[in-house]
Order: sequence, then C-alpha cells, then structure tokens
Amino acid sequence: MATAMVGGAFSVIILTLIAVNHFQRAVLLPKREQKLEVLKLELRSRPNPVPTPAFAGASPAPAQAGVEGNEQLTSQIRQLDLRIRQLRIRRYDFARKGAYLLLASAVTFLIAAKCAAVFRRKLPAPQPQPDRHDRQFHDAKWARQAVTGGLVMLGGAALILALIPEIDLSASGGVPAGFASKEDVAKNWPRFRGPAGLGVSAYTNIPTNWNGKTGEGILWKTKVPLPGHNSPVVWDDRVFLSGADPNKREVYCFDALSGRTLWTGPVQSPTVPGAKPLELGEATGYAAPTVATDGRRVCAIFPTGDVACFDFAGKRLWATNLGTPDSAYGYTSSLEIYRNLLLIQYDQENVEEEKSKLIALDVSSGRIVWQTKRPVPGSWSSPIVVEVDGCPQVITCGNPWVIAYDPSDGTELWRAKCIAGDIVPSPIYAGGLVFAIEAYTKLVAIRPTGRPVRQAQGRGDITETGIAWSVEDSTPDICSPVSNGQLLYLLTTDGLLLCYQVSDGKKLWEKDLKTNFLASPSIVGDKLYLLSAEGVMFISQIGPFDKAQGRPEYKELARCELGEPCHASPAFVDGRIYIRSSTHLYCISNRRDG
Amino acid sequence: MRRCPYIIVCVTVLLGLVSPANVARASSPWFTARPVLSTVEGMAVPPTEANKRFPPPEFESGYVQPSPTTPAPRQDIYQYIDALVLLAALGISAYLVLKRRSRSAIFALAVFSLLYFGFARMGCVCSVGAIQNIVLSIFDRSYAVPIVVLAFFLLPLIFTLFFGRVFCAGVCPLGAIQDLVLVRPVRVPNWLEGALRLFAYVYLGAAILFAATGSAFIICRYDPFVSFFRLSGNWNILTLGGSVLLVSVFVGRPYCRFVCPYGVILRQLSRISRWNVTIAPGRQDPAIVMTGLTGGPDECIQCRLCEDSCPFGAIREPTADWTGRDYSIGKKRLALLMVLLPVLALSVGWAGSRLKNVTARMHATVRLAERVYLEDAGKAEGTTNASLAFRATGKPTEQLYAEASNIRAKFTLGGWFFGGFVGLIAGLKLIGLSRRVGRTDYEADRASCLACGRCFEYCPKEHARRKGIEN
Repeated sequence: MATAMVGGAFSVIILTLIAVNHFQRAVLLPKREQKLEVLKLELRSRPNPVPTPAFAGASPAPAQAGVEGNEQLTSQIRQLDLRIRQLRIRRYDFARKGAYLLLASAVTFLIAAKCAAVFRRKLPAPQPQPDRHDRQFHDAKWARQAVTGGLVMLGGAALILALIPEIDLSASGGVPAGFASKEDVAKNWPRFRGPAGLGVSAYTNIPTNWNGKTGEGILWKTKVPLPGHNSPVVWDDRVFLSGADPNKREVYCFDALSGRTLWTGPVQSPTVPGAKPLELGEATGYAAPTVATDGRRVCAIFPTGDVACFDFAGKRLWATNLGTPDSAYGYTSSLEIYRNLLLIQYDQENVEEEKSKLIALDVSSGRIVWQTKRPVPGSWSSPIVVEVDGCPQVITCGNPWVIAYDPSDGTELWRAKCIAGDIVPSPIYAGGLVFAIEAYTKLVAIRPTGRPVRQAQGRGDITETGIAWSVEDSTPDICSPVSNGQLLYLLTTDGLLLCYQVSDGKKLWEKDLKTNFLASPSIVGDKLYLLSAEGVMFISQIGPFDKAQGRPEYKELARCELGEPCHASPAFVDGRIYIRSSTHLYCISNRRDG
Repeated sequence: MRRCPYIIVCVTVLLGLVSPANVARASSPWFTARPVLSTVEGMAVPPTEANKRFPPPEFESGYVQPSPTTPAPRQDIYQYIDALVLLAALGISAYLVLKRRSRSAIFALAVFSLLYFGFARMGCVCSVGAIQNIVLSIFDRSYAVPIVVLAFFLLPLIFTLFFGRVFCAGVCPLGAIQDLVLVRPVRVPNWLEGALRLFAYVYLGAAILFAATGSAFIICRYDPFVSFFRLSGNWNILTLGGSVLLVSVFVGRPYCRFVCPYGVILRQLSRISRWNVTIAPGRQDPAIVMTGLTGGPDECIQCRLCEDSCPFGAIREPTADWTGRDYSIGKKRLALLMVLLPVLALSVGWAGSRLKNVTARMHATVRLAERVYLEDAGKAEGTTNASLAFRATGKPTEQLYAEASNIRAKFTLGGWFFGGFVGLIAGLKLIGLSRRVGRTDYEADRASCLACGRCFEYCPKEHARRKGIEN
C-alpha cells in the first residue's frame, strides 16, 4: 500500500510539472514570439541604408549609422529567435522525459495498488433480499426515467444546436461574390481616370456649364475632412475618396445623390517603436494615390505603405502594411483592381536593391497572391489593365522600361526600353498602341504583343520591334495623355495642349492655354475636358478627323469656373462630374433628380 | 446462426467492399496503416510512386526525416502478421474464456494485447475505428477499404457470433488499458447503466454519419487512449484520456460500457452467440458439451456469492414473480411504448435533420465555404491557410458554395437517419425495460458481459470443476 501511495504521489507531482511545462510552452513562448514578430516588422519598416560613396560628396555618417542600427536589430532578432527555439526544444524534451517518468510511476502505482486490492479483498457475504420484487420494479422504473431523461437532454442539446444560425451561402449578404462585369465597370468610374485608367467616359450627357461661385450647375458640395490629391472614384450611388495628414489616414464614402458622408474608414499604421514619422512635401501630400473599387469593396493605399480594404458599408475587411516605400517625392501610384486582384505598382528608389515590384493582393483577404520584381527605380505613374488581342495585360511605366505583365500570375509579357527620368504620367492604351511619356522630351507609341506572341516567344524585349513611333516634344511631366483612338492629347503642367495623330505620331496642333494644369485630361463623347489647377474647366471640341474637313484645330466650347484650386482628375458618370478641389468634393449636374 | 459470419462476408462482397481492384489497392501500406480519410488523389498515386517522383532531400547532418503518418506505414507482410496475431489472440481468448476459464490467463492476454496492439502498433489499426472505413467504403465507391482493416473489423464480429465478447475480454487494447487501471471498482446503479449506454448508440450514429458523408473519422479523432499508445498527443486528447483512465480506476471500463461504438455492435451479436460465458460451468461449457457431459437444470446453486463480483454490472439476478396487477400495468405500458416507438423515431429524426447547421461543419468543404463567405462578407478577420489555398486555385466561390450546399443536403438526410436511429434505440430500450424477463439463475448478461472471467472464481461449482481437473 505504501508503494502505491508513493507511486501515486510521484505520479501527481510529475503530472503537475508536465502541466506547468505545458502552460509555459502554451502561454509564455507565444509572448516571446510576438515580440520577435514586432522586431521583424520594425526591421522591415526601416529603410535599407546604403553607405554613400565618398566621391559622391555627401556625408556617409547618417547612412553608416543606419547600417549599424539595422545590424544591431538583426542581431537582436537572431538572439531572440535562437532563445525561442532553445526554449521550445527544452520544453518538448522536458515533456517527453516527464511522460516516460509518469508512465513508470503510474505503472508502479497500479501494480502496487492492484496487489493491495487483492490482499485486502473481502470474502463475499450476501445479505438476505426480502424485497427483490420491489427493488427490481423500482430499478426498472428509474431506468425508464433515466432513459427518458437522457433522451430529453439529448433533445435539449439538439434544440440548442439547431438554434445556431446557418450561414446562408446562397444569400448575397455582405460583399457579393464574383467580379464586376465589364459592362458594370464601363458604367462607373472605378479607379484613377475611370475604366482602365484611360480618362474616357462612357457617357455623353455630361454638363458643360456651371459656376462654382454662383452655385449654378452645382448639385452638391461637401467638405472633405482631410486633404489629398487623389481623384474621386464612383460606383453607382457612392463616391469614394481618401484623405490624410501626417498623423491620420482615412477613406471616405459619399452619397452620390446628396453628397452626405456615408462613412469614414480610418486606416491605422502598425506601431513601430522608434520609427520616424513620414515627412512629405505639399505637392505630393499624404494621400496622392487614388482608391479603386470593384463594385463590392473599395481599396486605398497611402504613402506610408498602408493598404486597406472596406466594404460598401464601411466595414474594414482587411488592412496591411507593405513597408514604407522609398520614394523621393512620396508614393503616388494609384490602385487597380483586376478580377480578384488588387494591383499595386510599388516602385522604389535604388534600382540595385531590387525593391521595386508589382504586387497583387487578394482583394478579399489582403494576402499577397503574387509579386514580381521590377528593374526600375522609383516612379509615380499608375498601372493599367487592358486587353490586347484578348489577352489581359498590366502595363506599367518606369525608368527606362515600359513593361507588361500577365495579371493572373505576374509573369512578364513584354518590355520596351524607351523612357527615362522621373516617370509620373500613366500609360494609356488606344488605337492598338500603348502610349508612354518621358517628361519634357518624348512621347512613345508601342505596339504591344498579345497572347500569340507570348506563347510563341515567351517574354521578350520589344524595344527594337515594338516601338511604332516616337516623337520628341514638350511632353507633360505630370498629366497623363488621353486619346479617342484617333487623336492623342497631351497637356503639360504649364498649359500647353498638344494634339497628335495616333496612327503615325504626327503633331496636328498645339495650343497654349496660359494656365497651369495638374489634373489629367479626359474625353467625354466628342469633348475634351481639361481642369486647370485654378479650378477652371476648359471644354473643347474634339474635331472629327476627316481629311475632307481639313486639319482639326483647338476649338473651345466653354470655360466653367469652380472657384477653388484643383489637383485631382475629375470623374464623369451619367450626367454628372465629380470634382475634388483642395477642400471640397463637388458634384456638377444639371439634373436635380439624380 | 452459424451461417451469420458467411452472410456478413457475402453482404460485404455484394456491397463492393472487397473488389479485386480494391484489394489490389488496399494492399498498399498507405491504406493498411492509415484508417483515416484518404483523398481521392492519394488513392490515385500510391506513396511509393509519389516518393519516386518527389524524392525527399538528403541531410548530411544525419537528420532522419520523420514519417508523415503516425504510425508509419507497415509493409504488407507485417500487416498480414497483425491480422494473424489478431486471429490468434481471438482464438486464445475464446479458449481461455470458455474452456480454460482462467481470469489470470485472460489478464495476461490483455496485457499482451495492450503491449502489441496498443503500444507496439500504436493503436492502429483498431477494430473500433475500422467501422468508419467500412462505412465510408459503402458510401464512397472511390474509397477502397484495406483488406487488413476489413479483417480487423470482421474477425471480432465473427468470433463474437460464436463465442461472445471474447474480443473485449483480452484482445481489445482500449479495454485492456482500462481493465489494468481498475483498482477500486464502484458499482454503477442498474437503473443508470442503461441510460448511460444510450450515449454509445449516439456516438455510433454520429460516427457513421460523419464517415458516410466523408467528413471525419471521429472515433479516431477522439480516441482517448491513442495518445498514450503513441506517447504523444494533443494536450486536449491527453487530458481526455487521463480523465477516462482516472474514472477507470473506480468505474470498470467506462469507455467500453458507455462510449464504445464497436461495443454496441458486439452487444447485439453476443446476444445471439453460439456459446457464451456462464458463471457456473456446466450447461454451456463447450468442453462439457463436446464430451457430452451436459449439466442438469440446477447448475446455479443460488449461493449469491457472485452477485457483486462483476465490476461491469453484467451479472443478472433471478427475476421476481409478477403479480396480476404488474402484468396489467406492464401490458398497457408496453402497448403505449410500441405505439410511441415510430413517433419517437420520427421526432428525434426530425431533430437530427435540424442539426445540419452544426453537423455539416464537420465537413472540410462546408467549413471552407463558410469561411470564404465570411471573409468575403467582411465578417471574418484575415484568412486561414485553407481559404488562402482555395483562392489560389482560382476556383469560383459559387462552385464551392454549391458543393457545400450539396453536402449540407446530405447532412439533412443523414440527420434524419441519425436521429431516427437514436430515437428507435431509446424507444426499444424503454420497451426492453418494460417487458418481463424470466430468469431463475444468476447469469452473466450476454450483451453486457465482457468475458473478463472475474466471476468464475466466485462460483463454488467452478472450484469443484477445477478440483476435478486437478484430480
């Protein structure tokens, strides 16, 4: 008996120690792992400083200090990682040895206890049973009641479980499944410069007369809480914008009918101890990239590397941080959504560090589906997705490459080396050509290769074979081009409007509008809309390119004043224009019924 | 009754459980040592071929890659040895229980079974879990049940049909480990025993439902002892197993009596077995039957020495006589219960069908569909590995939802059967408790007796028999 007691006590002690060991492994280790993750995040968010060569004339001290700081952090991470691994292995080892000890002590206890039980067993001494009848009936009655009670308990449990609501997979609650159709995309203004980023509206019933000072033609005007140079995005009855200052980042949803703010979605950055706040100039601001929507969600990106996605009710679906991009003027590339993918052109400085990449996030979860490195330094243009011979392509511009990718997996389709310098204007695709701009000097027309070429030749440099034409001229440094397929318009920041023939690049005319422009031009039917930095919309006629009517010229139809400075490109949707000024969002419409 | 084993084999073949192709595929170690859900892809490419196609890396440090399955797949010959060991153990158990009538020898056999089928074979394949393989192979023709698993399922059933629950006596490692730790047995009241046993039927029904729908092998997943056999396991399962063993110190074989789904089948077969355990040697002792030494009608001398000897509550005392009033009330009750039986089965069946919201979530596809839906609807934060992998396939969510809806429909139908089964069993149990059973001797209950042999030595007739053998 004494042996059994000792064995039992020893078993209890071992069991307690194993339980404590398990608690330490299950509770304490994850805390250390969390700390490790924070350190890793901090390292990832830090810029990767490269010591400046002495002959560059700059002081190497700050970069050197950055390198040392990073090395220190890396060393700290390694030590902590090693410590966690050691602890984990030690705990497992402890549990394994403890299990063997427990087994041994339990066996000892059992053998001793069973022996003791045998030795202490008493001889059976049956007592008289005069009440067998009553006892048996009593047992049977109680047994029936126990079975009935068990059944009732089972029924109660089933009832409770049945009350758990079923997720109705056939219902379209929340975010609808699937993707928006091409028709729906064309009907709306889902991204920077509308469908496919071409700056061309599907509507022709757009106002041509308004005055912001008198209120004529202004359907509503709503103050935007935080500043930003990004452009309005419209889907059905909702208008989306983002705004930010050094401390706050927000996504806004406005009612397209009334201008009422439907919701504001805050976007938080991860807290990185010791990280310096991002400092950006006013020209770029803290919310330059335009949001994008797929008709189910709206996604936004900020120069801090924060990406967030909201449903149309304003609920944040997910948020992530890609790490602060290393961009000389601040990050400005707008988002594009293709099917289930959110495409982000994440170009960064120092091409030798290979930090630039095109990233595709799953729009429903925010997880990276694919990412492809790009051989370019920082750029500020936005990607577009167009169909070339039925093959969807993501077309991007960066110094010196115009590169197309397969949006399904990020595979490079073709590239052309044709532009240089700081690349801000976004490419467009019109008349079977991709147009890219090198600031101040060059306009390039590229004949992209479609699917057959890809299948036959794989990826390829089409610099020699794919450049349809190029012209050297005073090209824009900020505004993107626009084309109706026959005529191509360029608008420089200082107001020079140029018109080219798409087919051969022949310049047809140019017009100095004598004011500054930051918003990109747009085409609505047969009219060209140009919004100046002072808020004046220049509306001109796109001349029918017909040799019988002679050489087309600039023909101004109207000038409409808003009365506020404007940097963002307007959105044109079904009888309305949405313009973001420096402080307000305007809806211009001649129709009051919406 | 002697034809029953053959009938089972014939039905099995007719149901297509053992087709030549199945047998060929089942001979792969992958299947024989893995009575868990296998994917169709896994069946199409045997692991040996898969290994050739994707050879694992070689480590210069001497690191040995662990097997991806637990326990590691057995070579064919060893699987058949396992089946032969099982066959031999069952034969020995039958001999020890019915002819030798030796508790210590049965105990020794139980220790061997625990060491071999439990610790050495790590509790796999086990006859209890094999139920699910059989059920899955019936409902999913693409699933081939391994022939060794089939043997582990059928052999104990066949032996039970002839010799009673000799499998439970000394062959089942799950029973053996509980039997070993039983130190101070406490008797569970008779009236409670039947109600607690209802849980085993519920568990069997649930195991069949989930296996038939290809959702999960819950018997394996929630096997409380397998983590002991493997000296490793999930903390929750270890806690569950520890708790069951702790209870087993005081309550004889609680898992076998109140949980084991295989035991439910064995109970029914044992009722009709050719030979069975008797407390007193004599009438049904095969040795005596074979030698023609049949005992007289008064084998039991009503000494009552054995009435408290069974820690499993399997000894039934002689029944008291019923009065006329007892008969009158009993008849009415019985008639009422028989009328209510279909009502009970249908109503519990309906309740079972309403459980599909919960039960269908045991299926991975339904779980994935709901997760994807919640993520898309913004009602779930982040993603899971499964949802991420699904999205990477590019498969439309509508297709996933349609598959999940089909599976839910299966659970609606399955829930009817599951609930109906539970209701039927409860009703039959109530009927069984309401009818008169005539019994004049102290007897081991055919269904409940685990053939452990503890009661033998309490019987004076047994002592006389042993003395006669010695003389």
